[in-house]
Amino acid sequence: MSQSQSQSCALSAYDPKILEPLRAEAEAIVAKYEQKRAATLPILRLVQEKLGYITPQAEEWVGLIVGVAPSHVHEVVTFYTLYNQQPVGKYHIQVCQNIACALQGAEACISAISEKLGIKPGETSPDGKFTLSTVECLCACEAGPAMQVNDRYVGPVTPDTIDLLLKDPESLPELDTLFRGAVNMVEAVLSKRFTMRDSETIETYIRDDGYQASRKAYSQMTPQQVIDEVSKSNLRGLGGAGFPAGKKWSFIPKESAKPKFVVVNADEGEPGTLKDRYLITKDPHRLIEGIMIAAYAVGAHKAYVYIRGEYARPAEILQKAIDDAYKYGFLGPSAFNTGFALDIIVHRGAGAYICGEESALLESLEGKKGFPRLRPPFPAISGLFASPTLINNVETLACVPTILAKGGEWFAKLGHEKTGGTRLYSVSGHVTKPGVYEASQSIKLRELIEAAGGVREGRRLKAVIPGGISAKILKAEEADVAMEFDALRNAGTMAGSAGVIVMDDTTCMVQALWYASKFFAHESCGQCSPCREGTGWIFKIVDRIIKGQGKQQDLDALLGIATNMEGRTICVFADAAAWPVQSYITKFKEEFEYHIRAKRCDLGQRFGKSQRMSPRAAPAEPATETVES
Amino acid sequence: MPETVTKQITLTVDGKSVTVPDGTTVLQACEKAQSPVPFYCYHPGLSIAGNCRICLVEIQGSPKLQIACYTPATNGMVVNTTSDNTLKGRKDVLEFLLINHPLDCPVCDQAGECWLQDYYMQHGLYDPRFNEQKTKKPKAVPLGPTVMLDAERCILCSRCVRFTDEITKTGEFGIFNRGHHSEIGLHPDKTLDNNYSGNVVDICPVGALTDRDFRFKCRVWYLGATNSVCTGCSRGCNTVIHNNRERDWRPHIAEGARVMRVKPRHNPDVNQWWMCDEGRYGYKFIDNNRLTAVQSREQGATREVKWEEALQRLIAMLQRLRYSNQMDQAGVILSSHLTNEDLYAAVKVFKALGLSNVVFQRPKPGKSDALLLQADKSPNTRGAQALGISEGAQGLLERAAKKQLKLLWVFTQDLTQIFDAELVRQAAQNVELLVFQGTNTNPTSEWAHLVLPCAVYAEKDGTFTNFQGRVQRVNAVFAPMGEAKADWEILQTVSRSLKLDVTLSDAPAIFSLIAKEYPAFAGLTYDRVGEQGAMLQGEQGKA
Repeated sequence: MSQSQSQSCALSAYDPKILEPLRAEAEAIVAKYEQKRAATLPILRLVQEKLGYITPQAEEWVGLIVGVAPSHVHEVVTFYTLYNQQPVGKYHIQVCQNIACALQGAEACISAISEKLGIKPGETSPDGKFTLSTVECLCACEAGPAMQVNDRYVGPVTPDTIDLLLKDPESLPELDTLFRGAVNMVEAVLSKRFTMRDSETIETYIRDDGYQASRKAYSQMTPQQVIDEVSKSNLRGLGGAGFPAGKKWSFIPKESAKPKFVVVNADEGEPGTLKDRYLITKDPHRLIEGIMIAAYAVGAHKAYVYIRGEYARPAEILQKAIDDAYKYGFLGPSAFNTGFALDIIVHRGAGAYICGEESALLESLEGKKGFPRLRPPFPAISGLFASPTLINNVETLACVPTILAKGGEWFAKLGHEKTGGTRLYSVSGHVTKPGVYEASQSIKLRELIEAAGGVREGRRLKAVIPGGISAKILKAEEADVAMEFDALRNAGTMAGSAGVIVMDDTTCMVQALWYASKFFAHESCGQCSPCREGTGWIFKIVDRIIKGQGKQQDLDALLGIATNMEGRTICVFADAAAWPVQSYITKFKEEFEYHIRAKRCDLGQRFGKSQRMSPRAAPAEPATETVES
Repeated sequence: MPETVTKQITLTVDGKSVTVPDGTTVLQACEKAQSPVPFYCYHPGLSIAGNCRICLVEIQGSPKLQIACYTPATNGMVVNTTSDNTLKGRKDVLEFLLINHPLDCPVCDQAGECWLQDYYMQHGLYDPRFNEQKTKKPKAVPLGPTVMLDAERCILCSRCVRFTDEITKTGEFGIFNRGHHSEIGLHPDKTLDNNYSGNVVDICPVGALTDRDFRFKCRVWYLGATNSVCTGCSRGCNTVIHNNRERDWRPHIAEGARVMRVKPRHNPDVNQWWMCDEGRYGYKFIDNNRLTAVQSREQGATREVKWEEALQRLIAMLQRLRYSNQMDQAGVILSSHLTNEDLYAAVKVFKALGLSNVVFQRPKPGKSDALLLQADKSPNTRGAQALGISEGAQGLLERAAKKQLKLLWVFTQDLTQIFDAELVRQAAQNVELLVFQGTNTNPTSEWAHLVLPCAVYAEKDGTFTNFQGRVQRVNAVFAPMGEAKADWEILQTVSRSLKLDVTLSDAPAIFSLIAKEYPAFAGLTYDRVGEQGAMLQGEQGKA
């Protein structure tokens, strides 16, 4: 019997009238969207806030409100990580177990918390106070090992943090941002206001010439002129795909019988990436202004910001900024008295990396599982609610006010060859100064690592992931490459989300692949056969190698499986899952062969259930010579 | 609305030129070009999912393989369904589908008609290299009264999900979780119990959804297949009857039953690809509770007799009534369950006899819905009407009850299901001779003085006319059980004994006579009716 079926037996006496008090609020949520079903995720969140978890009866109740069969509500509840199908403790401790945090001691962190609380991941303490879970990337990599306690981001987790967690969890400090500065730049562009006090308020934004670019666009420029300026800037999509923004904007039809939408992809999820969280937390009005300009350029009067479910505090900050923008009249029926109306709705996700893929995001926004769509049609023609939709990453839109203020050509010159502008680089892993750095896209990877303080004392650089976990890995000697889309593509990897994960010589590459393949197996949406089966298969093989049961033919099998997934699927998740497999095995072949032959790690680690990867702030643990299995 | 001519486009598939309407997909074009491409998630009656990926083909100019089911065919396109790239893509997808698939073939009902087996033999035949623990999921889960789920066998093609969303619009199925833990199922509080649940078994390409009625009954390679039409209601969904061909050598299978299952057959104008559960599972009467012996009942004692003796008794009564001009005291209650041939034989014989109290009775109306189910639970009401037979047996029954009829000849139906049981009993007791000519035992047959066993529709050739006015053929799957004969055959024997001028040689010949005599049937022959039926004259042929 499936887990949810056995649960329903226990809850057969549950009274759905407990949910009725929520009806008014649920109906108010429905009213925000053009289609009822889009309210599914937020209403489920509402139910969970009240009940602590989602029961089958609650699913039926939600289904009746949004007009969807209960099976499809159950699909949503089981698809997204953040929905609980069982009650959880008062404090749900979700510890990141992805690669960047692992490089900074996530495993030791998990073991320590587990020991102190007396429960294993997946369990709840007998007094009902704590539930411990391991989760995938929270995008707090600069503060690894990181965790989320209910809605709060906490990191780096130290022995003191764990003590505080046990004694007084309410006083755990929320993770702040770690902006390190603009590298080799006279003046920061995107991150200019990050270190200012109260930078997120509308007052300081207006003080710093905020909302002038949008005023210029609305009052003095035509939509086409705006698009032309963005095209001139060579701005490329900074979510990862690097598609020319101006070109994408020009795809939206000028005339449309259906209303047009702007959708902001704030579903930051690529392991190693932190930048959108910084923009939203530190300079939300910049994003709002970017949305305003984009909406004007394509003729949209409604924008949705799809922000990952884990970003609770950033979503709060953004909502406050939006509320203030309404108060000042920038949003609402007529910005700058031009009669151009714009509404922005914040829509929180529920825990699924795949919803960062633009068509999966739209599906999720519409209230369904994050299943990428068959293309064509593309979002520009048929996107949100089958209407023309412009969908852009947070950082991409954040560049737009500056482009209009300083001109597209100015922005283009800041960049590198065909790519304009600067980027926010997220640096994590084995560097002494992890955090967010701004730099021109002409910066070399080696320079960036140096700016981040380089590797730790006495250590050597071994490998770097330049653009989030999907990006093919570069060996230390390959780090003299400009951190720009075309340059990195020519170097056999990709710029992606500019999530730079640095690995020194204490890193076991087989273990790195274990984290990568675990991530992809966990995040595959499961829609199409090659990815669903391939990601699971790859993880099972790598796991077996890690456990010392590898076989000679496993490496060929892994490479074969990776190749067989590529190019055969509905979206590029499968390709992204294939690239780490291909690059780690190819570039560090001897290490993999050694693991299979010797059934141990040549970095002196023995295998067992709790592997460690160079623990940093590990609580009172000795070095990893002897590892308990 | 003016007729618009659809633009035709021409493309090349495996070197063959094929012309199709603009809007056709590559997969459909390949089918037309007789270079079929394998598929799982594609179904012509459902929306495109594009998730199985096994229909990947090589299209000139595209660097990546494209899924044929979703890619529109364009003018001048060059498709290769057998290139090395295509075959490799196909084989790789098959490998992915099989790695977690349980090795259930020896215990799986789908064996022999499983698309994983079939495509593996055609496109796989590789050395397996999966050495891991397969993902475990629930097995043998009853989803409702008709369907059994084995979630491990499921390849997540989502056909069942789309069926319950788009066709029945009941939304029972969902695919839960994500990644390689994805699992097909129902909402925890629900069961699969709509009017069309059995169809999900048809459309499931593998043994994930299997029929509970058919479970472990018979291996499919023992099955014979005969085209027929369902007789459960007036829609006449096109069917295939699967019988146990090995019955003589394997009498233990399903305790010697002949019919193993009934599946729908595609007919775009009648039932598309579907049939209802009532019809699908309503075949048991073909083998169960059959009237197999001729019976004669006198003074309360029932004897099994030979045909000659029984018919002698009947003919004696008919002759007596005829020669004493008392044919008005004979009544015949035909049934809309009878074939056109049976009804025509009856009309001719009784006309020749001068027996004018001939009516047909349809069963009590039942459940209907917006999809296929019709309230009229008989297959040939339109046929009876087209042959000019008047409807309604109430009058005859009342006359019989009031001792105004000497002979009452009832065909097929249990009249106690339609009329007040007391009335029927009175009628039975107050006629001199109650003849029941039918297929299965029922209260009416229990009261009859003469029981003449009949062939069911699966035991004879014939035609029915559905509610749209579509004439459709049924074919004999096997010989009638025991002493049973086709209704028209019995009437033919009676006619010959009475030396009536009626010639009834076989079903096709009878049909030709119908076509000659009745303008509605003009121009129709068994050939023209074919496997998809043909409309009566003047009918529109709407679904």
